[in-house]
Amino acid sequence: MAEGTGRGETLSIWFFVGIMTLVYGLVLLPYGAWAWFGGHEAPTTLNRLHPTFWWGVLLTLFGCFYTLRFRPHRGDERKV
Amino acid sequence: MYKGVPDIFFVREPMAVLAFAVSRQLTQLHPVDVLILALYFALVLFIGFYVKGSTNTSEEFFLAGREMSAWIAGLSFVSANLGSLELMGWAGSAYQYGILAMHWYWIGAIPAMLFLGIVMMPFYYISKTHSVPGYLRLRFGEGARALSAGSFALMTILMSGVNMYAMAVVMQTVLGWNMTFSIWIGAATVAIYVMLGGLRSAIINEVLQFVLIWAGAALIPILGLIEAGGWTNLKAQIARNVGSNDYMHMWSTLGTFKGNPMGIHWTGIVFGLAAVLSFGYWTTDFLVVQRVLSANNLRAAKLAPVIGAAFKLAVPLIVVVPGLLALAVLKNADGSTMHLVAGDVAKATGQHAYDEVLPLMLIRYCGPGLLGLGITALVAGFMSGMAGNVSAFSTVWTYDLYGAYLNKKASDKHYVAMGRWSTIVGMLVSIATAYIVANANSIMDYVQALFSFFIAPLFGTVILGMLWKRATKEGGFWGLLAGTISSIAMFAYVQTGGKAALAHIALSPDAKPMAENMYRALWSWLICVAVTVAVSLLTKPKAESELEGLVYGATVIPDDGSRTLWQKPVFWAGVVMVVFVALNLVFF
Repeated sequence: MAEGTGRGETLSIWFFVGIMTLVYGLVLLPYGAWAWFGGHEAPTTLNRLHPTFWWGVLLTLFGCFYTLRFRPHRGDERKV
Repeated sequence: MYKGVPDIFFVREPMAVLAFAVSRQLTQLHPVDVLILALYFALVLFIGFYVKGSTNTSEEFFLAGREMSAWIAGLSFVSANLGSLELMGWAGSAYQYGILAMHWYWIGAIPAMLFLGIVMMPFYYISKTHSVPGYLRLRFGEGARALSAGSFALMTILMSGVNMYAMAVVMQTVLGWNMTFSIWIGAATVAIYVMLGGLRSAIINEVLQFVLIWAGAALIPILGLIEAGGWTNLKAQIARNVGSNDYMHMWSTLGTFKGNPMGIHWTGIVFGLAAVLSFGYWTTDFLVVQRVLSANNLRAAKLAPVIGAAFKLAVPLIVVVPGLLALAVLKNADGSTMHLVAGDVAKATGQHAYDEVLPLMLIRYCGPGLLGLGITALVAGFMSGMAGNVSAFSTVWTYDLYGAYLNKKASDKHYVAMGRWSTIVGMLVSIATAYIVANANSIMDYVQALFSFFIAPLFGTVILGMLWKRATKEGGFWGLLAGTISSIAMFAYVQTGGKAALAHIALSPDAKPMAENMYRALWSWLICVAVTVAVSLLTKPKAESELEGLVYGATVIPDDGSRTLWQKPVFWAGVVMVVFVALNLVFF
C-alpha cells in the first residue's frame, strides 16, 4: 500500500514530495541556465555563484530520486 | 511556537509578529515566481481531491485512518509547529536578541518532544482516544473535557483567523497584494482541501510544506555564511556591529536579568519555558498531538515525536541563523550597516522592522525563481497553519462538543459530514476573525494571550492524570479551572499594574514581557497541580480497574514490537538528547 495517502491508494506521500521538488527543479534549472549563460542573472548578492541554476540541479536530483523510488507500481492496490 | 501563530505562549513583544512597516512593497514577483506559486496551489488542491475517496469514516477523516508511518507522523508533528509566522517572527527575534532565540527550538522543544514520545504517547495511544479532551474525559470525566474542548475549539478558530490576517499582511508588505485577495484565496484553498481530505490532507500538505520550507529557505544560511566568511567571521562581525559578545552565547549571559538582550534569567528559561510551557504545548496541545495519534502502531507513535525532535534540532539553521546573519551583512544603499527597528518605529521612520529580516534576506540572495520558491514556502506555511487549526477544530468540535453534548447517537457518516461542514464554518469564522483583527490589531495580542491561559494548567492536569493514580475527577476539573483562572488573573494584574506588577510575577523589576509570560505559566501550572492534589486527596479516587490504559502504574504498557536496539524509540531519543546537550555546550 502507498505510504500515508490512504487505504487502497497508489500514490505515496513521498511520491508527492518527489514530484513537487522535481517540478520545481525543472522550472529553476532551465531558468537558472538561461540566466547564467545568457547573462541575465538578477542583481542579487553572490549572483556570481549562480544559485538558481545549482539549486535547480539539486532539486531535480532530489525530486528524481523520490519520484522514481516511490512511483506507483502495478501491484499496488487500486482505489475501489 | 505554535503553528500559524507561533508565539501564542511564547509572546515576544506585543504585535512583534506583525511588526511590518506596511507603507512600502519590498519586491515583486516575476512570471517564473508566479508559475511556482501556481504549481503549489494546483498540487494541494489535487491532493485534496485525490484523498477524498479514503476519508469516508470518522477515523479516516479525523485521524487519517491511524495509518501514518513514524516518519510521516513525525514530519507532520514538527511541521505543524513550523509556520510562516514562526519563521519570520523568530528570525526577527534572532536579529533582536541574538542566539538566545535558539532556546525556543532546543530546550524549549526537544526534552518535551522526547517525553511525549517515550512517556506519554503510550497512554494517548493505547487509550484509543481521538483527542486530548477525549483523554481528559476518560481520566477525569465530562467537566474537564468540556472545559478543555470549549477553550481549545474557540482558540483554534481564532488562531486560524489571526494566521489568515498575518498572511495577508505579509503578502501586502512583501508583494503589494490586496489583503482581501490573500485572505479569500488562502481560505478557499484550505477549506477545499481540508473539507475533502480531513486530517489526511492536512498531514500530506504539512509534509510537503516541511520540504518546501527547506527548499525555499536553506539557501539563505548557505549563501549568508559564504558572504560572512564563515561562522567565526560572522561572530566577529556581529560583535563589532552591536558592540557586544552577548548575542552569540546561549547560557553564559543568563545569570542576571540585565545581562542579556532578552531581560530573562536562566530560571525562567529552564522552569518556565522548558519545564512548563514547552511540555504543556508539545504534550497536550491537540493540534500537534493529533498528528502523532495518526500513527499506524505504538512503536510509530513513540518514534514519531523522536523523529520530529531530530528535525527540530536543525530548524534554527533556517530561522535563527538568517537573523544572526542579518546583523552582519545587511547594508543600506550607501554601504553602511542597516539597523532594523521595532515595528512601530519602522512605521514612523520608514526603516525596516525586525520581522522583515527573513524577506529582506530572501530578496538579498534570491532572484526570480528562487524568490518564488521562498514566497511559496511562506504561503505554504501560512496555509498549512490554517489547515492545522481548522482540522483540529473540526475534530474537537465534532467529537468533544457536538457528538458529546448536542447529538450523541448519530451515525458515523453523519459525524464525517459534520466534520466537513464544521471545516467550512470554521473557515468562515476565521475569515470574520481576520477582518476583525484587521480593524483592531490589539485583539491579536489578546487572542495570543488567551491561548497561553490554558496550555500550562492543562499540562498540569494531563501529567497528574497520567502519572498519579490518586488524582480524582474533581481534582482534575478544579485544578484545571484554578490554574486557568489564576493565569488570567495574573495577566490582568500585569496589564493593569505596570512594572510593579510585572516585577511581582517575574521576580525582578528588570524583567521584560517575555519573562512575565514564562513565570505566569510556571505559577499557573503550580497552582493547577496544588489544587488538583489538594482536591484529589479530599475526594474519592476511581477504582484502579477503571484506570487501566490511562494511568502509569495501573496499565501494562504493551510491547511496541521493537526487537533490535536500532528499532527502539528510547535509543533514538537518547541519541537526540546527546546531540541536544552537545549543541547547548557548543553554543554555551
